Amino acid sequence: MMNVNALRAERGTLLAFAAAIALVIVGGIYRPSFVQPENLATLLLLASFIGIAAAGQTFVVLIGGIDLSVPWVLNAMAILLTTTSLGQNDRAWWAVPLALGAGVLAGALNGLGIVLFDIPPVVMTLAMNGIMEGLVLGLTGGFTCGACNSYAPPAIVWLFTAKPIPGVANGLLLWALIAAGVGVVLSLTLLGRRIYALGNNPLATYLSGIDTRAVTVIVYALSGFFAAIAGFGLAAFGQQATLGMGDPFLFDSIAAVVIGGASILGGKGNYWGSVAGAIFLIVLRSVLQEYNIGEAGRSIASGVVILIALLLYGRQRAEF
Amino acid sequence: MARLRLRYYAVQNVPLLLSLGLFVAMVILYIILFALKQSRLPGAFELLTTVNNTLSVGLSAIGQTFVVLTGGIDLSVGGIVDVTNSVAARYMGDSPGSIALVSLATLAVGAFAGLTNGLLVVYGRLQPIIVTLATLAIWEGIALLVLPQQGGSIPPALTAILAGTLPFLTWLPNSVIIAVLLVAGWQLLRSTPFLTGVYAIGNDERAARANGISVARAKLGAYTLAGTCAGAAGLYFAAANTSGDATSGTPFTLTSIAAVVLGGVSLFGGRGSAIGSLAGAFILTLLLNVLFFAGVNTQLQEFFQGLFLILAVVASTLVRRSLQRAR
Repeated sequence: MMNVNALRAERGTLLAFAAAIALVIVGGIYRPSFVQPENLATLLLLASFIGIAAAGQTFVVLIGGIDLSVPWVLNAMAILLTTTSLGQNDRAWWAVPLALGAGVLAGALNGLGIVLFDIPPVVMTLAMNGIMEGLVLGLTGGFTCGACNSYAPPAIVWLFTAKPIPGVANGLLLWALIAAGVGVVLSLTLLGRRIYALGNNPLATYLSGIDTRAVTVIVYALSGFFAAIAGFGLAAFGQQATLGMGDPFLFDSIAAVVIGGASILGGKGNYWGSVAGAIFLIVLRSVLQEYNIGEAGRSIASGVVILIALLLYGRQRAEF
Repeated sequence: MARLRLRYYAVQNVPLLLSLGLFVAMVILYIILFALKQSRLPGAFELLTTVNNTLSVGLSAIGQTFVVLTGGIDLSVGGIVDVTNSVAARYMGDSPGSIALVSLATLAVGAFAGLTNGLLVVYGRLQPIIVTLATLAIWEGIALLVLPQQGGSIPPALTAILAGTLPFLTWLPNSVIIAVLLVAGWQLLRSTPFLTGVYAIGNDERAARANGISVARAKLGAYTLAGTCAGAAGLYFAAANTSGDATSGTPFTLTSIAAVVLGGVSLFGGRGSAIGSLAGAFILTLLLNVLFFAGVNTQLQEFFQGLFLILAVVASTLVRRSLQRAR
């Protein structure tokens, strides 16, 4: 039983990686410059933003929840970072913890609403997304504030885009570090065991004396934390934070998790799958772009790919 | 015994009763604030704009209700509104035949989109939230192909029919008549075996199956109706705005879910009513009107909508808990 489930998650990871590599080859056949190391490194850096946001989404999906607040938590924290640091390193030392903490707080509030008032995760995180959007628009006067045009602090830009190792942006190393950390938490720690237990059977987990409420709050707080980091990365990559920069992340963060083979019902999956899913999504879009397929076609393709992935390894057993 | 039955009814219908109460409270609050600001009572014009602004969300929320009652959720509503809105604005001509044909076509597109969701959920044995997230992206893309630039046109005749008034009943907006017809249609449907099956599988799918209810048929029907309602919402939205926009439907996914929740429909399935969802859609519009008259910065709209949604769900939970304790 356990083996079958583990196998299914593995299959998703392997298939997503294999499909991404196949797509890279297809892109290379059409235009050899596509497979240049510089281009591939840029694609990986773009994938890292989805991948980091998907780290939080992976935690949430593993306990059987979903976080629809990723887009505007991400966006709000990127804007909080730029408008409080004003692009200066000597303000960043408190602006970075402030924005990270605010992300954790938003996530924790999601978790608290869910465990204290039985609010369905879809509703709670949907409402939080609106709350964050409204706060950003209201507090920045529709992004007309003086500080709104501030740049990301140089330290953060360095953290994500500088290349002390030639050809490898720091952001990729950070992503690798995060992947290793998430992997360790999920497979080697008590929290990880409890997350899988909660996703597989909430009642049995509760009855075995585990504080399922605490696990839930921690997991949603982690999602807010990773959304904030992804927001920092996007702000660093584009130099500035913009309104709506988080919007694609609702679809992308969930898509990466699902393409990676995790079950949306919880309890099955791992972060390596989400990493593969994030890379696959970015490669797919950039290959389509190579073939001059516009935004509409890319959107349709992303949807179709999820359906194919689901039909390959996301089906439930038949009921009789 | 009678008291017990009354309490049982109250416990069972707390969410609907709360939502209708909230609706009435919002109407009263709106009238008071309007009167204070404008030194007169809201009249026929305010009724017309309020109901016209609500009906597309209301239609999509009624559609969402069917899916939520089965225990699922439909995130593709926004994409279906996008595509039907675009189809109506691009292809509709001024002749009565064209108006009728294209209107029916938009509903058919909606029904097809809903049926696709249903087939994937039922025979693909996939989770609704992910299936509809994927089809959302697909329909958003198709809408951009149908109407690459916003615009197109809707014949004034259709706008007059859907968003105007009858010549001899100028105080009564047609949209109110449509809303009443929708409520009546729901009540007719309520006693059919189809909707009974939808409620049954939402409450306990295994038990429903064991009792001979065709889960496949009920779910396919629910998703198809949801798509059709989203199609109607797209058509209405285009008619009310007299033009189309391939991205204008995107907010409908969220507002339809918010309206359903404010309407007291349980996201766990099996409990609720489309009448509540329609009331929920009105609550959302009235909230915006109330915030406007209260002088709240319009950029904070989403903030207050989100906060309001959470507070409404929390209040409903607390009332239900205290009633259950009393029992």
